[in-house]
Amino acid sequence: MNPVVETKNLSKYYGNVLGLSDVSVEIHPGVVGLLGPNGAGKSTFLKLITGQLKPSLGQVYVFGQKIWNNPQLFADIGYCPETDAFFEDLSGWQFLTWMLQLHHFSACQAKEKANEILGFLHLAEDKDRLIRSYSRGMRQRLKIAQAIAHDPQLIILDEPLNGLDPLGRRKVIKYIRKMGEEGRTVIVSSHVLPEIEAMTKKIILIHQGKIFASGNIHYIRELIDSHPHIISIKCNQVRDLAAALIKAEEVIKVFFTPDPQEVQIETRQRDVFFDRLQKLILELDLNVEAITSPDDNLQAVFDYLIGEK
Amino acid sequence: MSSLAHLEKKKTLFFPSVRDIFKFYFFLGLNSRRSRLFLLSSIVPIVIAAIFKGSQILYGQPRFSGLFIYSNMIMMFFLHFLILIMTLFFGSSVCREEVDGSTLPYLVTRPLHKMAFIVGKYAASTLLVGLTVIFSLAICFLILNLTQLGEGGIYKVLARDAGVLFLGVMSYMALFTFLGIILKKAIFFGLLFSFGWENIIQYFPGQTQRFAVVHYLKSLLPAMTQEGFPFLLFRLEPTPLAQSILTLLGIVIFFLGLSCALYAWKEFIIDSK
Amino acid sequence: MSIRKKGYSHWEGQLKESAFVAWFPLTRLGIKLAFQKRFFKLFFFSAFLPALIFLAGIYVSERMEDFRFMIQGQPSFLQITPNYFKAYFTNSFFLFLLVLMMIFVGSGLIADDLKFKALQLYFARPLRKVDYLLGKMATLGFFLLLLSLIPGWIFVLFKLVFAGNFAFLRSYPWLPLAVVAYSLILTLFFAIYTLTLSALSSNSRHVALMIFGIYLASDIIFGIFYQNFHHPYLALLSLKLNLQQVGAALFGEKLFYPVPWGWSLLLLIMLMGLGLAILNRRIRSVEVVK
Repeated sequence: MNPVVETKNLSKYYGNVLGLSDVSVEIHPGVVGLLGPNGAGKSTFLKLITGQLKPSLGQVYVFGQKIWNNPQLFADIGYCPETDAFFEDLSGWQFLTWMLQLHHFSACQAKEKANEILGFLHLAEDKDRLIRSYSRGMRQRLKIAQAIAHDPQLIILDEPLNGLDPLGRRKVIKYIRKMGEEGRTVIVSSHVLPEIEAMTKKIILIHQGKIFASGNIHYIRELIDSHPHIISIKCNQVRDLAAALIKAEEVIKVFFTPDPQEVQIETRQRDVFFDRLQKLILELDLNVEAITSPDDNLQAVFDYLIGEK
Repeated sequence: MSSLAHLEKKKTLFFPSVRDIFKFYFFLGLNSRRSRLFLLSSIVPIVIAAIFKGSQILYGQPRFSGLFIYSNMIMMFFLHFLILIMTLFFGSSVCREEVDGSTLPYLVTRPLHKMAFIVGKYAASTLLVGLTVIFSLAICFLILNLTQLGEGGIYKVLARDAGVLFLGVMSYMALFTFLGIILKKAIFFGLLFSFGWENIIQYFPGQTQRFAVVHYLKSLLPAMTQEGFPFLLFRLEPTPLAQSILTLLGIVIFFLGLSCALYAWKEFIIDSK
Repeated sequence: MSIRKKGYSHWEGQLKESAFVAWFPLTRLGIKLAFQKRFFKLFFFSAFLPALIFLAGIYVSERMEDFRFMIQGQPSFLQITPNYFKAYFTNSFFLFLLVLMMIFVGSGLIADDLKFKALQLYFARPLRKVDYLLGKMATLGFFLLLLSLIPGWIFVLFKLVFAGNFAFLRSYPWLPLAVVAYSLILTLFFAIYTLTLSALSSNSRHVALMIFGIYLASDIIFGIFYQNFHHPYLALLSLKLNLQQVGAALFGEKLFYPVPWGWSLLLLIMLMGLGLAILNRRIRSVEVVK
């Protein structure tokens, strides 16, 4: 299957400041989280794949075509910028209707679609107020509205949850997941890990203008050899289990936590370890309450890869 | 549905893009507070005309005829001030406003022909300023020639002057649109050009004065008596009518074309706020 | 001894308030930012060109014998009297340069703070509205006084140095004071005028056009009316002429129009009062959205 977005050796320099360096990535339908600390190059990447910036080196293809100076592609692209900027003298409804008309919708169609999307994002009551009087959350919802109102196949959202209240966040996250399930391609950038984790398991991790990892979070975690996996087991005989595990070759470390019912181990061979654990549970007749991997999550992947830990 | 097949149906055409951009910016121009403030400045000559007429009615025996005062107002206020200030404001805003206001991403991520953005917004701004200036001019004309409104011939004067001012708006707007794309300080350099270069160069004899836009506009107006504002017509060596019109249209095409090409080629870095 | 932990710790000293310190950082920042603008340095140094020409005139006036081949007869404009100072301070090009300087330095001074909602940040510090305005005004004052007061005093100083005696100062002992007074009037007027317009919009480009447009329009309107009515009091319509009238009076020279210069001064003071009232209304820590 052809990728929706494809970059080949993409680099961007602002004078002698590096924005993005040698990025080759393929993005397929579904939700993809673009992750990285502030200034990592997320927005530069999004501006390059939306044709707002010209690559210094490399190519960007969207729907198999070059994006720079190819406006017809935008019929199927929705973009929500990070900056909090609007045509402040318009009302929310006017803004949305005009943005739809710039997609060549007729005035009637634009009005209909605008009403629909404003209702969905709980802006219907305030649609006639000038944007300059909108709260931060309302402005953010309006930005998202203009990105999705024309029903695009590729949706690019730069920090879309900034300024939204918890209820709004939940709703938008749910909607993003739904769009992904419908087979659209949604690229969401954020530096807030739980937000991305709630939307998708597919991530692209950018740091210092380079792609540090891309793919499924668990798969990426598997690839990080430098940090052994931590596995936590909660059961009734933690010390017997610990004594048995300490003899196992694949176990590097065994340690207890403040919880008297919990033992944690570190291993580099997860599969071998889980085989052994199954046998031990039966042998020692353990009553296991929970088995978890505290570092098999986005935060851990993020921390390991960008060197915070 | 295959995305590519979907795109095949949506070719981005130049003229529909120009039309949509034009409609949007004309609407925005009418509804923006800043634009309205600048458009309000066109009321000033109407107030001046009303004061002149009022004083004529109250004190009688005017020193100059209504038509003479009207002609001088065109020279002094419209040609040397109003159209320059208004086109500088609207023209330099065509691109710079979107970059400074960070609204450009909304426009460049729509299926609109890139050059159509410049042409559409230029057309909307030109029409907005042109109509405002002509409206103001017409009111001034009617007020100052209140007693001669029955004479059919005088409307030809109004039509000619309106045409000259509209050509001026078109030319300056194209020039300042170009300045707004290439320079961050377009206003500053625009002011230096409008009130420095344009004023100084026209007093030079021979071919030198042909490097000023205002020279061609003045060439389209009939030679006035030197009694009024002699310094404004000092050393004017008019260019023939057809040549002046062609030159002004050439200025429009040249700077508008250059603006379009530059806008399509250039990338604009929007600062994160 | 306590352990110093890594991380943020509050400063526990006592804040010493000082009226000078409160607004000075704003001024310093304004001046620094002005010089960071593209083309500003070029414009800044070009703005001293009239002063250099006038200074050269003072030199030539003292060496008339050496320059006789260039100057036919005894041109009156090279006689260094208060009229020479009036010619520098009230010439239209000099005032035009001051307006351009205000556009460069002043158009964004408050407009940018409004645009980026920086007023809340300013007033979250021990800074009063008056400190804020003083800071901004001092930025403009720095540039305006550099172009007015400093050249004025340099003219006096160099006249004395070139002449090698104090005869000039004995003849016009009040002249340095007139230079100070007119420079202050110019500075106060242009600073308040610029800041008022800067506070009326959050877009510095629009402010730049207003600074120039209002100044020029007032002069054009005067021109149109004067052409028809020939009434000297119409000079009061022009900002430029009001400044010139006051300048001519302070240097003890003939007025440009036979209108009492007090009227012009009063008008300028009234405009400054109106400007301060607008500034007081517009500078608020909390933005009121309508």
